[in-house]
Formats: sequence, C-alpha cells, structure tokens
Amino acid sequence: MAIITISRGSYSKGKQVAEKVAERLGYECISRDVLLDASDRFNIPEVKLIRAIHDAPSILDRFKHGKQIFIAYIRSALMCRVANDNVVYHGLAGHMLLSGVPNVLKVRIIADMTDRIKAEMDREVISEEDARVLLEKDDEERRKWTKTLYGVDPWDSSLYDLVVHIRMLTVSDAVDFICEAATKDRFKTTESYRRKIKNLGLACRVKAALVDPFFDAKVTAESGNVLIFTEAGERHAGKLKKRAKELEKEIEGINNLEVHVGVPIPEDAL
Amino acid sequence: MPIIIISSDSYRTGREIGEKTAQEIGYDYVDREILPPVCEKYGLQDEKLVKALEEIPSFLGLSSKFWKRYLACIQEATLGQLLDDNVVCHGLAAHLYVLGVSHALKVRVLSDPQVLGRELSLEASAVPEKVKKMLKRHEEKSRKWSLDAFNLDETDPSNYDMVISLAQIDPDEAVKTIVDMAGYRKFQPMTYSIKCLKDKELAGRVRVLLMERFPDVKVTADGSTVVVETKAVKREKRKRTEAIKELAGGIEGVNYVEVHVATDIFRQAAESAR
Repeated sequence: MAIITISRGSYSKGKQVAEKVAERLGYECISRDVLLDASDRFNIPEVKLIRAIHDAPSILDRFKHGKQIFIAYIRSALMCRVANDNVVYHGLAGHMLLSGVPNVLKVRIIADMTDRIKAEMDREVISEEDARVLLEKDDEERRKWTKTLYGVDPWDSSLYDLVVHIRMLTVSDAVDFICEAATKDRFKTTESYRRKIKNLGLACRVKAALVDPFFDAKVTAESGNVLIFTEAGERHAGKLKKRAKELEKEIEGINNLEVHVGVPIPEDAL
Repeated sequence: MPIIIISSDSYRTGREIGEKTAQEIGYDYVDREILPPVCEKYGLQDEKLVKALEEIPSFLGLSSKFWKRYLACIQEATLGQLLDDNVVCHGLAAHLYVLGVSHALKVRVLSDPQVLGRELSLEASAVPEKVKKMLKRHEEKSRKWSLDAFNLDETDPSNYDMVISLAQIDPDEAVKTIVDMAGYRKFQPMTYSIKCLKDKELAGRVRVLLMERFPDVKVTADGSTVVVETKAVKREKRKRTEAIKELAGGIEGVNYVEVHVATDIFRQAAESAR
C-alpha cells in the first residue's frame, strides 16, 4: 500500500502519531528496530549506531567517514524492512534514508517549544531552563547531522509532503490527515515501484558490504545487475574489484556485477 | 466560522488554492483586489502597494518610511475584511500579523518545485542546478522580506497549523484537507478570539492614522483602550502625547488613549552635542 516516514523532534508527539497511524492502517511501525537489525547484521554495537544517527559528525568523523559507514548499514536495514511495504517509520532522517523510494509519504510533526519543554520537564523531572537547554542542544545536533551528511536543513518544509503543527491540531487530527493522504493513488505501491524498491534494496546491501573500507564506491542496481563506480586509483580499484567478486557469491539476487573505474557516476548512485 | 489564511511560496499557487477553497466551502475570497480602494482612500499607487508586499526597501526601490506605511495600510484594510468572518485570505501577508487569533486557520502551500522552477525561470530550458539555486534565492528573499516586515520568518512551519507540499499531493486534495480542517470545532470563532481580532483591527486603524506624522509608532488595543508607544526628545514629549491623544481619540471605537513616550536617545544626544 504505502510507506510513511514521520520526522519529528524530541517531545513533539511524532512517536504517538506514528504509532496511531500504523495501528489505524494496520501497518508495521518501525523506529529503533532498524538499528537493532543493522546492529545484528553488521555486528556493530547498537550504541554506536545510535550515535551515528543522532550526533553531528565531528571533524575527525569527516576524515574517517565513520558516520557514512554506519548510515550505509542503517539504510540497508531500513530498506529491507520497507521492501515488505505497509510501513510507518518514525525517527531520524527517514525521508533522507529512503530517498529514491518513489511512493514515500513524508511527514514532519512539530510542536511548540513551550509544550515540548513541559513534556521534557515532566518526564525527566528537571527545571524549565535545563529542559530548554537540552531540547535546543538536541535540535541543533539533528540540524547539524542532516546538514553535514545530506546538505539540507531538516526544518525545511519543502522536504516533506505534510508538516503538521501539534497545537491547535491534535495527535488524532494529524493521524486523520496522514491516513487520508496515505490512501491516495500517488502513494500506493505499484508493480513498477516495487521493482524500484527491490533495486534500491540490492544497491543498499552491496553498498553496506563495500562501504568499509571502500566508502567512496557508488552503487546502482537494476534487475539484479549491479554497477559499482569508483574514482579511486588503480591499486585501490584492484582491491575493490576483488571484494566485488566475493560479493557476487555473498549477496543474494545479484545476476551480474561490474566495477567501473574513472567513468562519470550516475546521480542516483548510492 | 473560521478565517482561512493561505500563504504560499508562489502567488499563483496560493491564489489557486485560496480560490478553490473559498468556492468549496462557500466563503468570500480576499486577495490583492482589496488594494485599489486602499490606494484611493490614502492617495497611494496600486503598484507600489503590491511592490511593498514583495520587496524590501532599497536605494533604488521603496524608501523604508513609505514601505512601512504601505504595509500598515494593507494590514488595516485586510484586518477590516477579516472581521466579516467566513473569509479565505491570501496574498496580503495576513499570516504574519493575524497572531493569537484562534479562529484563524493558517496553512502554507508549497508549489511543486518543478512548476515553481519553471515559473521563476525566464529560460525555458534552464539546467536543474540553476533552477535549484533560483528556488533557494526565491525562498531566501521571502524569508528576508517577512523578517524585515513583521519580524517573523514566513518559511518557518511553526507559524502555521499545517504545511502542504504540492510536489506529491494534488491541489484538489490540498483543498479538501483545508476544508476539513476548517470544520474543526477548535477553529470556530469564540468571544475571546473575535475580541483579539477586533483589537488588532482597531490598532491597525489608529496606527495608519498616526504613522503619517509619527512613523515609528507602535499601537496595541484592548477593547476601546488604545496604547501608543513612540519615541521623542524630552522637550517634545508633552506636545507629542497631546497630538497623539487628539488624533487617536477621534477614531471610531476609541474611548481612551494611553501614550508612552520613550526618550529618543540618539536625537537627544545629537541635540545636546550641538
């Protein structure tokens, strides 16, 4: 039917909205589960993945490409989940991690700072000032994270199909609007969309398998034909080709795999 | 019934959604057609009012003093229209000055970026990268305009109840969503929200009148009491207070005028130095 991503700040009631939407539509609601999947599959402690998806990259990270590596793992795990369709994903950067998937309804839930502060004070039993500082820091980290890795501001409304402000509108109103939008033809999974998601899923799996240490390798996939692009030097490319050969046997669904060195990289390559 | 205020990144898109919403729900549609009577009333030029809604003051364009006056005139006329209720309003920046009125439903509609790109681009076949930059510049311009004019960022989604992007959502579906929302009980007018709007309308009328002589005035209203804030040098304070009281007191609906005159420290310092 459809794939829905719900982006939210902390204490913005986005989690409640996501859970209710999933319940109403009979969809699977996923968030942290994706990190657990990625943690199991790639044998990385969950806490490292949480940091990768939450904290803005440090200067050192930018050289080590640590975050890109973890994000490739998370993206691969998320793509596996959404391949089954009928999914509501809430959490950080769903709309970014699923870029390229055609039928995603992208929603952002926002709430007034005063309401968020009150919710945090109640839950953490802290002062108003402490709650404000924590929320502002959290928002800033998320902003920096998305800007550094994707070059966009998560507060930019044009990234979403719907932005719902929980103030006059309630959680239940937001659920109504999202469910209504999700049933539109535009967001229904057609056979061609299904193929595209399958191709993206395969490209993500290959990318995740290569990203450490070939973080600069770009991948596309279509009907089981995988193309890997690199601009690396001959020695590095040789190693990449060797690793790519192994992947043909390791990853299910690959019919043919080619490595292209020094050719223009398609825009949609991961 | 509620007031529906539509804001958009494109005048054409906002108008299309606004008109369709008004038609669907049976409300009046208020747009820039209300400007010619305003021009007539105050002896202004129509195109300058439209320009004031789109551009900030510049050396070769509008002067800051006139720009502020034009915006105040537009604000006054718009608020007067909104008092009538059952109104869909677009193109008059009402989302930036109708604040704290619970029966005003505010929606921002974002155009399909491809359509907006074509609209903004003079070349039929502009490269995507160029169009992207153009869209960014367009957004930055409206952000700057709204911050300079009303100290609010119109691209910030927290200034609206909902933001709908037409990139994937059909305009008719957007209209249906807005109409559905307008039917919600929480957007129905209440005694307090009507009073808030009336206060804003009265303050708007007083401000337009006072601005001619005192361009820096800030006006708020509570019922029939009007509070005016301004700046003057010490020796002018009494004279200015009396002038404001006389002018504002003559406006229909005003019973009491309270004037707060702060010392204009820059002028005071300049005069002392002379």
